[in-house]
This record gives sequence, C-alpha cells and structure tokens, in this order.
Amino acid sequence: MTERRSQTKPGGRTRRPGPATVIWGSIALFAVLFALFTYQLSAPGQPRQQVLVRKVVKRRVVTTVAPTPGESTVTSGPVVSATQPAAAAAPVTTSAS
Amino acid sequence: MSQHDLSFEAMGSHVRFLIGEPADEAPSAREAAERARAFIAEFDRELSRFKPDSGLSRLNADERERVPASALLRRAVSAGLEAAERSGGLVDPTLLREIEATGYATSRAGMGGAPLAEALERAPERRPARPDPEARWRRISVDDERGEVVRPPGVFFDTGGAGKGLAADMVAERLRGYSRYVVDCGGDIRIGGADALLDPYEVYVEHPLTGKRAFVLRLSRGGVATSGLNVRIWRDEDGRYAHHLLDPATGEPAWTGLVGATALGDTAVEAETLSKAALLSGPEGAREALAGQGGLIVHDSGRVEPVGPLARPPRIRLPKLEGNGAAA
Repeated sequence: MTERRSQTKPGGRTRRPGPATVIWGSIALFAVLFALFTYQLSAPGQPRQQVLVRKVVKRRVVTTVAPTPGESTVTSGPVVSATQPAAAAAPVTTSAS
Repeated sequence: MSQHDLSFEAMGSHVRFLIGEPADEAPSAREAAERARAFIAEFDRELSRFKPDSGLSRLNADERERVPASALLRRAVSAGLEAAERSGGLVDPTLLREIEATGYATSRAGMGGAPLAEALERAPERRPARPDPEARWRRISVDDERGEVVRPPGVFFDTGGAGKGLAADMVAERLRGYSRYVVDCGGDIRIGGADALLDPYEVYVEHPLTGKRAFVLRLSRGGVATSGLNVRIWRDEDGRYAHHLLDPATGEPAWTGLVGATALGDTAVEAETLSKAALLSGPEGAREALAGQGGLIVHDSGRVEPVGPLARPPRIRLPKLEGNGAAA
C-alpha cells in the first residue's frame, strides 16, 4: 500500500515510452553491440578466435631401417623408425636393463 | 593424432622415443627423434665407463683432486650424488672398483644372462643392503663455476645408479614443445606433453621371472623405472652367481628377497633412484621407499606386490553439495 501511494503522488506523472520507441531503441542497441563485436574480432593485434585443425590420419605405417651414424660402438643393431597413429604404437614396457 | 616411434640400441640397452605433434615453431617429430638419438650417442660417449676415452673414464684416471669436466659429466655426477643423498647412501655411485671385481668390467650388452631362478636357489641368506659407513660419495662435489669435479684421487665415480634415468630426463627437456612423448632408456621412462594428460600412456611392467606382463600402469606425466636381477646376472670365476646391484656395505651383490622393483617419480632419475633403493632395501624397506610415489615389488617367490598409491583401490570423488542441507 505504501508503494502505491508514493507512485500516485499528486503532480508526479510517469510517462511510458511508446511501442515505436521501444522497438527502434532495441534495434539500435543490437546494431551498436553487433558493430562493437565485429570490430573487436576483426581489429589487428586483437586475439582472434583460434581454430584448431586436426588432421585425421588413417592408419599408415612407414618403417625405415637405417644404419647408425657415428661410432659403431655407440649404438648397435638396426634403427627402427615409424610414424603412425598414436593408438597403433606398440606398448611401452618398463623392465630391468 | 600421430606420433613418431624410433627405437635403437644404445648404452647397452634398448632405447625408444615416441614423439607426438610439434608446436608451431618446433621441428618435426621425426627430426626431433633423430636429434635425440644424436644426443644419446653423445651422452654415451661422454659417460660410458667402458670407453677409455670417455669423460667419465678420464675423470676416474685423473690423479688430480680437481678435474676439469664437461657440463654433461658434471650434471651426471650431480645426479649420482643426489641419488645417493635421496637413498641414504644405498644407491652409491662410488662402487666402480667393486662392480668390476664382481666380473662386470666390460659391457654385457647382448650377452646372455644366467638363469635367475637357479641363482636364487643358490644365493646366500637374504638380507637388506646397507649403506657404506665410509660414504665415500660425500667426498665428491661439483664446482660448476670452475667447471670441475672435486674428489680425492682414488674415489671413483660410476653413473650406473642414475645414468639412464638422467638420459631420459635430458631428452624429455628437449621435447617440451611436443603434444606428447615417451622417452624410454632401457626401461627408465619419462612421459610428458599436454595430450598425455588427456589420454595417458599405458606402461606394462615386465615380470622379472616370467618375462610376462606383471602390471599395467596408466601414466600421463613423470617417470617410471624398474630395477631387477633378471638382466646383468652372471657366474663369477668361482662359479657363484653375481649381479650388478651391489650392497654398498659389503661391495657384493645384494640378495634381499626381492628380484624386481618398479617405482614412479616426478622424473626418471627419481624413479630410477627409488627403484634401486627399494630393491636394495628388501621387502620391508621397499614398502617404505615406495610409499610416497607408489611402485611395485616382486618377491623372490614371484609374487607381485603393489605398494603405496598403487596398492589402494581407485577412489571416486563426488563433488560436495553445499547449501542449507536441502540438497543433501
């Protein structure tokens, strides 16, 4: 009751905005915000959204056997080298050596 | 998601690198693997005790107290001293003459070992190894400012206690720009990379008596290492079985009731130190040594015992519900 009384105080008229004002105001606000975001994304020196490109590699195993360069006493036996999908790698094993 | 897989023999062991995709500026995984292999060759040239012209051999042959040493040799000496400190002297880097006296004076790479089961039957009474009361390693120091290793002549140094772990860690330092990696230097392993956090590696632990898989670890980062009696075991001139893990107090091979120990650590050097300390300590001491980071011990009987965090069942943590109790 107290609130209502304060709103209808004599001499204190409240003007409501018309529907056109609300619609055009909303459109203007959207346009300003849209322009601001567009500027931020395209401005040089600003951090851009990162796009992560992942290669989908189908199973392709390339194996080369090469002699060890340098002294033969440093390493011995063949060198086995391969690039392959992570899931295709032979398991890692820890054992005494 | 691919990775490069490179394997070769070096340092008397099997070495393997698994390297994922490079960051923008880093060279390809294949090139990184080749560079790492060249580094391992340099590491072996400088630190092998079997090569008379290596930095390590020159250090041990030098009669001066202060000996100029390369940065790599100084780092290896520092790692050996840290291993000794961390293990209370059990992983002792000064047992060079003792290991040679047991019959391990030349590389045993590619040599067949003696049967471990038979060696266990004939081994002396089991007891934990103890540190050398003299603690000769405390008389060794590294002066990085002057580029020297300081020690009394007659105190010899051997990288065996932490060498392969150090090699794995130093290669790993070179692979920080890669999405994931495994560096395996003869079973002393270092794992890292952001992708490994999301998709950890499975690491199989080999049983020292059967050669079969004893345990499977899932690791996203850090080190893991295994020490065991199943390799580098031989018969000495008297027909007695000997191996390369010595009791510092006696200078003789240690028979402690364990045939293998696997340890986890923040680095491969730490894991290697802990695995050796655990094996030398015997079952009771090993449980204590591995309690913090976790590990695995294999008894003479072949029984596999997970220790520390590995012995505890995985816990599922539910988020706490906060509020006035209505949500509970």
